[in-house]
Amino acid sequence: MADLTCNLGKFTLKNPVMTASGTFGYGYEYSHFYDLARLGAVVVKGIRMTPSHGNPTPRVAEVTGGMLNAIGLQGPGLDGFLHGEHYLPFLRKSGAAVIVNIWGTTIAEYGEVAAGLEADKAGIVALEINISCPNVKAGGVAFGTDPELAQKVVATVRKATTLPVITKLSPNVSRIGDFARAVEAAGSDAVSLINTITGMSIDIETRRPRIANRTGGLSGPAVKPIAVRMVCEAAQAVKIPVIGMGGIMNAADAIEFLIAGASAVAVGTANFTDPYAPVKIIDGIDDWLDRHGCKTAAEIVGSLR
Amino acid sequence: MKNGEIIANTRIQGDYYRVVFHAPEIAASAQAGQFVHVRISDRLDRVLRRPFSIHRVEADGSLEVVYKTVGAGTRELAQLRPGTVCDLLGPQGRSFTTPGDDVVPVLVAGGYGAAATYMMTRQAVPKGVLLLGARSKADVILVDEYRAAGYDVRISTDDGSLGGKGRVTELIDGVLHDFAGRKLRFYGCGPFPMLMALAKELRRTGQGGELSIDHVMCCGVGACFACVVKVKADTPEGWRYARACSEGPVFDLEDVYVE
Repeated sequence: MADLTCNLGKFTLKNPVMTASGTFGYGYEYSHFYDLARLGAVVVKGIRMTPSHGNPTPRVAEVTGGMLNAIGLQGPGLDGFLHGEHYLPFLRKSGAAVIVNIWGTTIAEYGEVAAGLEADKAGIVALEINISCPNVKAGGVAFGTDPELAQKVVATVRKATTLPVITKLSPNVSRIGDFARAVEAAGSDAVSLINTITGMSIDIETRRPRIANRTGGLSGPAVKPIAVRMVCEAAQAVKIPVIGMGGIMNAADAIEFLIAGASAVAVGTANFTDPYAPVKIIDGIDDWLDRHGCKTAAEIVGSLR
Repeated sequence: MKNGEIIANTRIQGDYYRVVFHAPEIAASAQAGQFVHVRISDRLDRVLRRPFSIHRVEADGSLEVVYKTVGAGTRELAQLRPGTVCDLLGPQGRSFTTPGDDVVPVLVAGGYGAAATYMMTRQAVPKGVLLLGARSKADVILVDEYRAAGYDVRISTDDGSLGGKGRVTELIDGVLHDFAGRKLRFYGCGPFPMLMALAKELRRTGQGGELSIDHVMCCGVGACFACVVKVKADTPEGWRYARACSEGPVFDLEDVYVE
């Protein structure tokens, strides 16, 4: 048994495996499979001030080695999340470490959501700022592909909360290191990456896009080499911790991210393939560390030769 | 971890197949209208499970799925031989409700939707009617099973190659006539346009019922919000998106939002 404790600067998790926002609902949905407190953290689906419907259907399409999604951040809004039976109140009882992913259609809204969570923050260990969702028209990736706007969002959230702030970066940029440095300078305590990569798939019989939004975010094993490269670049660009994700399906994938420089990882699409994926990955990392004579998970972070 | 050994996997007709899993835990609790979410193989070039309506379960722990080969996943499933073990999640989703003793169930199925309504024939209520619509004779399946269960099977096809020519909803008037004075409840499963037409027809004729509706599904447990359908709600638009996998796939007709 290696020591899996994961130090993310401003906060510490029991292990380096969390769930990727948008792939794990609000935790409740997977609580029938295993104890959520086993996870490093539960990262919930994005929360904004008001409830939102999300995009028309079909919202997902399987592609070779992954999937496209354009869910469009359907959600209960801040009040629904704070008070709904199957949302934050449930997570508090579960004993899970909760990271709340937040978004808005304006910079001010990001601040309002952060302030609203600050006022009722029991059980929340950090906020993750979503400036990288490719599937909403206003907000989301519009803030994540312009470094100045990204900084404004981070600074606004920073002012509104005492919680640690993680900024989730978009891969749909040419120089990821610049964005990581920009949000670090604006006060972000960590960065997480990658969000999905914009893609498209067409039904050749109907000649229509396979998802109603036309384009969607590509995730799954197909994106992993891109994610590993970007995590490696981001880790070299900043001093704050990096949380790596993108196509992690098993413990070997997770270890690859740790070696590339991620202090923690998030499991996304793999939850759909196997609901037990995150806990299998925790156990698999532990096994790997034992077999390689490592006493801690932390010692392999950034150990790329 | 894997819990669904294939006992048999055979072609019914054309592109339609029947796979029987040995899955006693799921079989023991499965209700009409629920589904199993199947990881067909471990290969990582196909990451998503496939949801299938539970066609029938038996006391020996067998669980049957009837499917059509429509894409890469179902074509791969059709290749699997007895002895192969798949990873099944289930039973998932909300089931059809059990009608009262005095109610005649009217099942309305489009194509392989007939697989999803079959378990209704096991309810201890009056034997009912199956209205089965399909594109063509080649897509009409499971008729003998329903007849063996004591159901009155009435068929329509788009091209008239079997039964009446036309839409399955056109068979409803005949049922209302034949069962005048009896309490009826309708249970539908089929393609989305058929279900919307069915909803309109049932509302027009003042009948109650339940519809099994979904869209392309992903997690199968309510987490990803891919498979949502519109249900009536107290929102400015009058609807909200409900997750077919966890809040459905069976929705009461009263709740279904028809555009």
